[in-house]
Amino acid sequence: MNKKGFLQISFQWLFAIIVGAIILFLAIYAVSKFSSTNEATSGTKINAQLSALLNPLESSFETSKITPLNLGTETRIYPLCDSDGGFGIQSIKTSQKSFNKWSTPGIGSNVKNRYLFLENPVQGKNFYVFSKPFEFPFKITDLMYIISENDNYCFKNAPSNIKEEIIQLKPKSIFIEDCPDNSIKVCFNMGVCDINVNTNSNYVQKNNTIMYFEEDSLMYATIFSPKQYYECQLNRLISREKILIDIYIEKADIISNQKCYSSIKNELIELKNLLNNFRDSDDLSSIYSKIISINNKNKNSKCRLW
Amino acid sequence: MVNKKAQMKIQQMSFMLIGVMLFFGLVALFLVSFKSSELKQTVGDILEENALLLVSKLAESPEFSCGGSFDSYAGSCIDLDKVMALKNSISKYNGFWGVSNIEIRRIYPSSLEVLCDLSNYPDCNRIQLLSQENTGTGVSNFVALCRKQAIGNNFENKCEVGKLIITYEQP
Repeated sequence: MNKKGFLQISFQWLFAIIVGAIILFLAIYAVSKFSSTNEATSGTKINAQLSALLNPLESSFETSKITPLNLGTETRIYPLCDSDGGFGIQSIKTSQKSFNKWSTPGIGSNVKNRYLFLENPVQGKNFYVFSKPFEFPFKITDLMYIISENDNYCFKNAPSNIKEEIIQLKPKSIFIEDCPDNSIKVCFNMGVCDINVNTNSNYVQKNNTIMYFEEDSLMYATIFSPKQYYECQLNRLISREKILIDIYIEKADIISNQKCYSSIKNELIELKNLLNNFRDSDDLSSIYSKIISINNKNKNSKCRLW
Repeated sequence: MVNKKAQMKIQQMSFMLIGVMLFFGLVALFLVSFKSSELKQTVGDILEENALLLVSKLAESPEFSCGGSFDSYAGSCIDLDKVMALKNSISKYNGFWGVSNIEIRRIYPSSLEVLCDLSNYPDCNRIQLLSQENTGTGVSNFVALCRKQAIGNNFENKCEVGKLIITYEQP
């Protein structure tokens, strides 16, 4: 009898302990899952909000402007680029520091109509965003550059137009004189620095890589972003340009019905053929002469397409 | 008797445990639905914010802007000839602006509503891009609508007053 009673109680306890342990395990699992999902959700929210915030920085005029971006807490912004399919995709992921630990970056906010140039990752509490129109020969889009307040850039021997632009922009992280000691040195046509810009042959040497550019907007892009990312964004820009060429060719046909005859339709077709063979920034110089010639013809035309 | 008592106790405990599990399950379900509705609200807010910002800058994007083709540079100016050309390539722009529809309406001089296509352009006053219907929430902005117009054997730049309407779907 005693043995039976002992068994009876122990079975009840055993049953309660096993089920209790299962409940506890499920509760702990649910709480940890919930908190990690919450972290990812908040990261995704910041990504989407940041992406929407960068919307109004596009402008119609050829002036660059600088906008401070205050994210409140120490944040890492990770840029992602995919040049496949139509316009390709720009994505940004953010990770924020809380209790000395970086949060999960969350799901990236994918956008097709944005072209951001930044280091991977760029880190800080406050960021400076400025944009410049990219015209090749017509406006393709506004390129946006994101720099952190933690990264100081020292522009040495910069050409006068760049100097003037920086004086006008007054970015707190870019210096042309009295550079802080820890700044990233960007040298124009001189010496060996962290970033070397050659404005005669239009290339930038950085981290043992060479990136080619045409126009100042692409030069800034090479300075503020890594090579692989820059090349990807450049391919996205060329893809958009090809689609815009189709629109301008179609526009030339539409306005010819209104007695407005454009003389550059055939040249636009030639430019599109050149762009079809575009691989990387190394090909920019071979296209640029055609770009200049088309732009001059359009400027001097009575019936301008752009 | 002893066996029956023990069985009763195990049954009681099982019911109790099932009850506890159900309670926690319901609490979890409530939390998940609360979180998902909160998330939907955030998505809606972001979409609205995106549409409001987009409507103010879309006229400046290269697919719409007048640029330098109408003698002087002007803000909020839409090149209607370019938009008609864009209408032909619009399938490539699916998901590009993250909105469900873009509509351009001429509001002055006013006339009967005629939807534009290549056969009746420019004798029309409404261009629908992306979709043929306006479903969802719309935000609008006043813009200048410019185009080339033939006069005899020559042409002139003609600008009218219009509205740019952007529609986005609420989640």
